[in-house]
Amino acid sequence: MSVVATAAPERRFSALRLGTFGALLLALLAAMLFAISAGRFSVSIPRIVEVLMAAALDPGATPAQMDERILLLVRLPRVLLAALSGAALAVGGAALQGVFRNPLVSPQVLGISQGAAFGGALALLLGYHGVVLLGLAFFFGLAALVMVGALARINGRTEVITVILSGMVIGALFGALVSIVQFIADPNTSLPAIVYWLMGSFSTATWARLGLAIPGMAIGLAIIFLLRYRLNLLALEDSEARSLGVNPDKERWLVFIAISLMTGTSVAVAGIVGWIGLVVPHAARILVGEDHRVLIPASALLGATYLTFVDTLARTLTAAEIPLGVLTALIGAPVFGLLLRRHFKEANRA
Amino acid sequence: MRISRAFASSIVLAMACVTDRAFADPVTITDQAGRTVTLNEPAERVVTIPMPMASTVIAIDGGPDRLVGMNPLSKTAILEGILGKIFPEAKDISSDVTAPNFIPNIEELAATNPELVVQWADYGADLVDPITNAGLNVVLISYGTEEKTKAYHQIVADAIGKPERAAAINSWRDTVAAEMREKTKDLADDQRPKVLYLGRAMENLTASGTKGNYNAWYIDLAGGVNASADVEGNGTTISPEQIAAWDPDVILLNSFEPQLGIDRIYNDPILSLTKAAQEKKVYKMPLGGYRWDPPSQESPLTWMWLGNLLHPEIFNYDLRAEMKKAYKTIYDYELTDEDIDGILWTEMQGDAPNYAQFKAN
Repeated sequence: MSVVATAAPERRFSALRLGTFGALLLALLAAMLFAISAGRFSVSIPRIVEVLMAAALDPGATPAQMDERILLLVRLPRVLLAALSGAALAVGGAALQGVFRNPLVSPQVLGISQGAAFGGALALLLGYHGVVLLGLAFFFGLAALVMVGALARINGRTEVITVILSGMVIGALFGALVSIVQFIADPNTSLPAIVYWLMGSFSTATWARLGLAIPGMAIGLAIIFLLRYRLNLLALEDSEARSLGVNPDKERWLVFIAISLMTGTSVAVAGIVGWIGLVVPHAARILVGEDHRVLIPASALLGATYLTFVDTLARTLTAAEIPLGVLTALIGAPVFGLLLRRHFKEANRA
Repeated sequence: MRISRAFASSIVLAMACVTDRAFADPVTITDQAGRTVTLNEPAERVVTIPMPMASTVIAIDGGPDRLVGMNPLSKTAILEGILGKIFPEAKDISSDVTAPNFIPNIEELAATNPELVVQWADYGADLVDPITNAGLNVVLISYGTEEKTKAYHQIVADAIGKPERAAAINSWRDTVAAEMREKTKDLADDQRPKVLYLGRAMENLTASGTKGNYNAWYIDLAGGVNASADVEGNGTTISPEQIAAWDPDVILLNSFEPQLGIDRIYNDPILSLTKAAQEKKVYKMPLGGYRWDPPSQESPLTWMWLGNLLHPEIFNYDLRAEMKKAYKTIYDYELTDEDIDGILWTEMQGDAPNYAQFKAN
C-alpha cells in the first residue's frame, strides 16, 4: 500500500473533483436524452416520456406502434451502443497512452483496428453480416495483437519500442489485406457495404448487437478500471516499476488484451470510428489531471458523452446517414491540434 | 517444305483479309466522352469492361459470338441468369481482361486480340489510357439515364455494323415510354403512390435522390413518386427511422443482393410497420437478361411491370406476352413459362397485391 502511495501520492476526492464528475455525469445524461429525442421521425417530447415510462414499467411488452418501435428498438439501443463504444474507445486510448508514456498513441498503433477491419471486410466480401461479421472482426483484432506479441518478444522480454514497431508492421500488413479485399470486392454489391462499414456507423444498432458488444466492452472496461492504480506504475520506467514489485511485462499485456477486446468489439459493431481514443483522454487530462485513478473514469464518461453526441449529429443532420468516422475525424483532428498546442505551450512555460 | 507451305497459306490468308477489308466500310463513332473512334471495319471481336455492357453487346448482336472478353462479374451474372441458359457458350468467354473494379489487365486484354474495347467514360483516364497506349480501339460509354442508354446502344450497334438493331430496340423504348407517359402525365399528386427503391437492404439501407437516378425516372413514368426525393446523391445510406418518416406506399428491393427477399422487410420491426409492408406491397426487382433495376436492353419490360403494379386501373400490359416477344426479338429465344416465373420471382412474391396478373394462365 505504501509502495503505491509513493508512486502515486494518495489524494482524496476533493469537493472540486466530485463536482467535476457530477458535471460529467450530467453531461452524459443530457447527451443521451438529446439523442433519444432527436431523429428524422418526429416524436413529441411528452410522447417520448410516455413511451419510455411505459417501457420501464413493463420491459417485456413488445412495442406495437411505429413511434414506440423507433424509440425502443432503433434509438435506445443505438444511443446505448454509441455511449458504450465511446467509453470503451476513450478508456482504451487513455490506458494505452499510460502504458506507453506517450500521449500520442491510440489503439491503431497496436494494429488491432486494422486487424478487426480486415476481419469485418472479409465477412462482408463473403456476403456475411451480423454475428459472423462480429466474430471475424473480433478474431482478427485479437490475431493482430497476438502477432504483435509474438513479433515483439525478443529474448524473453518485450520492450515498449519493439511493441510499437511490431504494431506498425502488423497494422500495415492488415491494412494491405483490407486493400486486397476492397480490390476484389464486387462494386455492385459488397464493395459499397465494405467502404461504408470502414467509415464507421452505428446505423445497424439493435438490442441483439448491443448484447453482442456488451461482454467484450464490459470485460475490457472492468480490467482497465481494476488496473487503474497499476497504470500509474506502468507509466514509470520499467526498472523503477520492477523495483516497486510490479511485473510490467505481464500487466502491460493484460492491458493490451483488454484494449483489443474493446477495440475489436467496437470495430465489429460499428466499423472504424477513429480519434475518440486520442481526443477524449486529452480533454479528460485537462479536466482531472494525469492520475489514472481519476483519468480512467473521467475518460469513460467523456467518451460516452462525446460519441453519443456525434452519432446523433450523424443520423439527424441530413436524410442520409453521415459516416461516423468522417465526423469524428472532422471534429477530432482540429480539436486535437488545439489541445496539442496548449499542451506544449504549458510544457514550455514550466 | 513445311515452312514454304505455311508461308503460302499465310499469304492466302493475308490476301483474304485484304479483300475482306476492301469491301467493308470504315466505321466512325463518337463515343459518350465526345471522342471520335474510327474502325477500319465493323468490330468482330469485342471486349466489354463495364458490367452491364456484356449483356448489351449480346442483345444488340443477338448472341455472344463477338464477345471475346468481359468483366468477371458480368460473366457470373450471365451464367447465373437466364442468358446463361440461352447462350451456354458464354462460359468460355474470357473474364481475365479486367478486375471487377474496371482496371483492365492489359496483357490479358491484348491476348484476346480485340478490335474494340468498351470502357466507362466516367471513371477517369487511368482506366482508359493503358488500353489506348496498347494500341487498342476504345469507345467510352456513360450510364444512368434513358438518353445515355439509347446513345450507347447506338454506339455499340454502329461499332459492330448493326445500326438497325439499336434503332429497333430504341424505338421500342421510345414507343413504350411515350404511351406510358401519356397515361400518367395527368395523374394528380395524391394519385401517385410513394415508391421507395432500396439499392441496398441487407447490411445497410441505401436510397437515392431524384437527380440522375434512373429508378426515380421510371417510377415517375409508371405513375409513382420517388419516396426518397429529399436524399442528396445516389446510393446514400439512410436509417430505418428515415424510412418510417417517409412511410412509402410501395417498396422495391434491388435485384443485386442475391440473399435479399421480401421477408427482409416483413421481419424488420420498423420497416414492417410502413404502409408498404402493411399492405404487402413489397416487391423484389426482376432479374432477366440483365437486372431490371438499372437501365438495360430490357428496360421497357421494367416500366410495364412497375406500371401494372402501381396502376392496374391504367395499365394492363400482358407482361408475359411482352416478355416472350422481347426475348424473341432481342435474343431469338422462346421464353418458357418457368423462365418467366424465375425472372419475376413469382414463387416468392406471387401472392403480393396486384401480382396475380403476372401469373401464367
